[in-house]
Amino acid sequence: MADLKPVRTYLGMPLYRPKTAFFELSSCEGCQLQLLNNEASLLDFLSLLDIVNFREAMTEKSDEFEIAFIEGSVTRSDEVERLKEIRKTANTLVAFGSCACFGGVNQMKNRLGSEWVKKEVYGDHPVESGFARPLEDIVTVDLKIFGCPIKKKEVEKIIINIALGKAVVHPVYPVCMECKANENICLFDLGEPCLGPITRGGCDSWCPNSRFGCWGCRGPADDANIDQLREIMKKHGFSEETLRDRLECFGGFSKYTEAFRKNPEKKKEGK
Amino acid sequence: MIFKVIKKEELKHLFDVLAAENRVVGPVEAGRDSNGRPIYAFDQVSDFNNICLDYTTTKISAKRYFLPYQEDLAGFRIDGKDWHKKINYNIESPYIFFGLHACDINALNKLDKVLLGSVYPMPYYAAKRKNMFIIGLDCIPQPYCFCRSMGADTALHGFDMFLTDMGGQYFAEILSDTAFNFLKNIKTAEPAYADRMRYIKIIAEKKRKFTVRVDTTDLANILDMEFQSDVWKQWGEKCLACGTCSQVCPTCYCYGVEETVNINFHEAKKTKMLYSCNLIDFAQVAGGHNFRLKRDARLKYRYYHKHRGFVEAYEESLCVGCGRCGEACLAEITVPAVISSVRGEES
Amino acid sequence: MNGKLEFIDILREKEKKYNRQHDFNAFEFTYKAEITTIHKLTQMENLYRVRIIDPEQGKQFSFQPGQFVMLELPGIGEAPFSISSSPLRHGDIELCIRKAGNLTNFLSRVERGTRVGLRGPFGTGFPMEKMEGQNILLIAGGLGLAPLRSAIAYVQANRSRFNTVDIIYGTKDPSQLLFAYQYDVWRADDITLSIIVEEPDTAWKGPAGLITKILEDLFRKKDKTFFKNTYAIVCGPPVMFKFVCTMLSQKDIPMQKMFVSLERRMHCGMGKCCRCNVGSTYTCLKGPVFDYWTVMNLKEAI
Repeated sequence: MADLKPVRTYLGMPLYRPKTAFFELSSCEGCQLQLLNNEASLLDFLSLLDIVNFREAMTEKSDEFEIAFIEGSVTRSDEVERLKEIRKTANTLVAFGSCACFGGVNQMKNRLGSEWVKKEVYGDHPVESGFARPLEDIVTVDLKIFGCPIKKKEVEKIIINIALGKAVVHPVYPVCMECKANENICLFDLGEPCLGPITRGGCDSWCPNSRFGCWGCRGPADDANIDQLREIMKKHGFSEETLRDRLECFGGFSKYTEAFRKNPEKKKEGK
Repeated sequence: MIFKVIKKEELKHLFDVLAAENRVVGPVEAGRDSNGRPIYAFDQVSDFNNICLDYTTTKISAKRYFLPYQEDLAGFRIDGKDWHKKINYNIESPYIFFGLHACDINALNKLDKVLLGSVYPMPYYAAKRKNMFIIGLDCIPQPYCFCRSMGADTALHGFDMFLTDMGGQYFAEILSDTAFNFLKNIKTAEPAYADRMRYIKIIAEKKRKFTVRVDTTDLANILDMEFQSDVWKQWGEKCLACGTCSQVCPTCYCYGVEETVNINFHEAKKTKMLYSCNLIDFAQVAGGHNFRLKRDARLKYRYYHKHRGFVEAYEESLCVGCGRCGEACLAEITVPAVISSVRGEES
Repeated sequence: MNGKLEFIDILREKEKKYNRQHDFNAFEFTYKAEITTIHKLTQMENLYRVRIIDPEQGKQFSFQPGQFVMLELPGIGEAPFSISSSPLRHGDIELCIRKAGNLTNFLSRVERGTRVGLRGPFGTGFPMEKMEGQNILLIAGGLGLAPLRSAIAYVQANRSRFNTVDIIYGTKDPSQLLFAYQYDVWRADDITLSIIVEEPDTAWKGPAGLITKILEDLFRKKDKTFFKNTYAIVCGPPVMFKFVCTMLSQKDIPMQKMFVSLERRMHCGMGKCCRCNVGSTYTCLKGPVFDYWTVMNLKEAI
């Protein structure tokens, strides 16, 4: 797939077309699939990268790359080694999707007791499967692309920025901003819990657009007021457990949920 | 001003005449909340029966029709080191607004001041504003409405025609010749003495229905004096910094601009996105310094802009008292509560 | 029966080629300009000379020292920059730009000949004409010398109209000094130039410390009548101008005779986006140049 198109320029500046590899650890590979789903701009998109390794899209592969997109969380010792190897080669290591960023859905099992989980999933044929960890537990991550799954449009924008040498900036505001712009009815008005007020936007309020409350797959917004949402949930009649289930679903709020577990009924008097 | 009375069944005829050749936006029921109460929104309508003339307040203002949440300000074609800029004000045909309440009309009048009446008038807004035909509609004060405190419970201008429900008929104020000519399509009558008296009575009754008040006496000064007040910290602790208040507000116009390059690298665009001063990076400069890092500083700024800055510039506040921000705020931060706390009143 | 609304084209009767504050087309009016030279000043700052391509438009473009332009690179970004060059040159300006964000980083990579968009000039300037016949203190910290350089150019061009002129300039270390190649020319125009660095290197022969130190030295040499007839322009980070202006106040220079330039985020430059508001004052319209009295009365300015 290399060198399909000549080097292009923008305002006279040559575009950076990095040798790129896609890898997956413990994951559903759904994020990579999202990229390939984008038929309309797929060729444009692929031409921006010199892809040397993409199991879902090609058979030949190479171990020389500058950018590594890694989907999935780390659950096995061989994955730890593989990740360290990738880090040695990659100039830029990208945590691709919520599993890679936070542990994702996989990390739910971390709280369930590993023996029980193994038995439930694999029955009498157990395989090695430890705690699900985000990439940055093992290696330095240069860029995170949030979402379960990632949003194609957003990834395209990021790749364009990489080609231009522009910094990648994520929205710092919560999902509510986009949800209101989409003129959705607030999930709380519909009697549904929602993490929209504290979760990083950029998804164009994907779930609330279908009247489905946010589960926080992109992790916390830059100034997330989680204590306040906790009170709001309570006021709307949702249990502490309902909130915790959501906060713990993708692992993005782990810092806060640990505090919740230590202090489940924290009194907030004098406010 | 010219006054008319219109029989209720005639209004449908007027709608049909207008809807036959124009885009019409009106209040519709968007859904029901968990208690079965209707949730209203402004949307395009083609059937008169879908318009909810007795709507309370829409959850979100009509803003997107004149200040879209996202709008391209310019497009570029890139040609080597050179480029060509193309500007489009993003409206091709007029809109009819069928049933705007006085607060929302006053919101437009306020926006006109800053977006049309000052230096560098904003053509994107102007093009849409000047292509809006507005039929105003009276309303029943809701428990969260404080438009009367803000002097926005009646609209004196900024519409083409205003209707007040008088039971079997509407009392109509006709402000523009366009409206006057449209009315030639339906049956109208001159208001008789009894009609006029009934109208006066209805207006007086409406005034008595307001339950919440905001004391705006000397507010601009008090906000300045109490800039360091501790109450801001308390509100800041509650604030979700989610921007919802600004998004639903009919007068919030602040924005950010982003430039993006198309994936083909031959085109680029400059996009405006309505932003909120409650979002963390609102006052952050290149290089990282943030002039309003704390939530309370940002929340305070929003009040300061609306109830002091705008007053200094235009002798009126940038709030019409529609109550949408307080209704939409999950943390229950409402304008009457915030202002009363700044005034040092017991809540 | 006619119910069709006529579409109103707001630009129908307007002249489209002018750039007047009250015309609708002024809002996104962009002068197309060319980067004619790029001069590396330090590791972080470049001086760009930018010329409006259309000579007619170039003549239209005049400004006061202290005013700013919005510079745009399509698809990359747009940001405010104070003009750093002489106001006598129309439509051909110099901008001293530090690498700090997306736009400025991209700018640091582009080549001569790249076309950029210019909007403006916007905002208030230093009231140079008011200062005539008086002494002038021009005090800059770091990148603050950029807007000040335009005022210096004005003074140079009209040197006989001013009394004593002192430039006091401080930076972190000698490698950050801007416009070093011009210092001799300034001095030749009977301008006193004192420079101080916070962290001197081995080659540094001048004084070391904060800018306030050099001011104290200078003030010792001046008498009461000097301060009575003095205007000051102070450009630099807020902490710096706060200390400096307090010192000047103690010497009884009225706050209305001290001018500072505020730096804020701006997305429009025209009093619409609200990103530059201080309290509720638009920096882009009422500033960036404010007298110090006004700044003292602005909430959250310092």
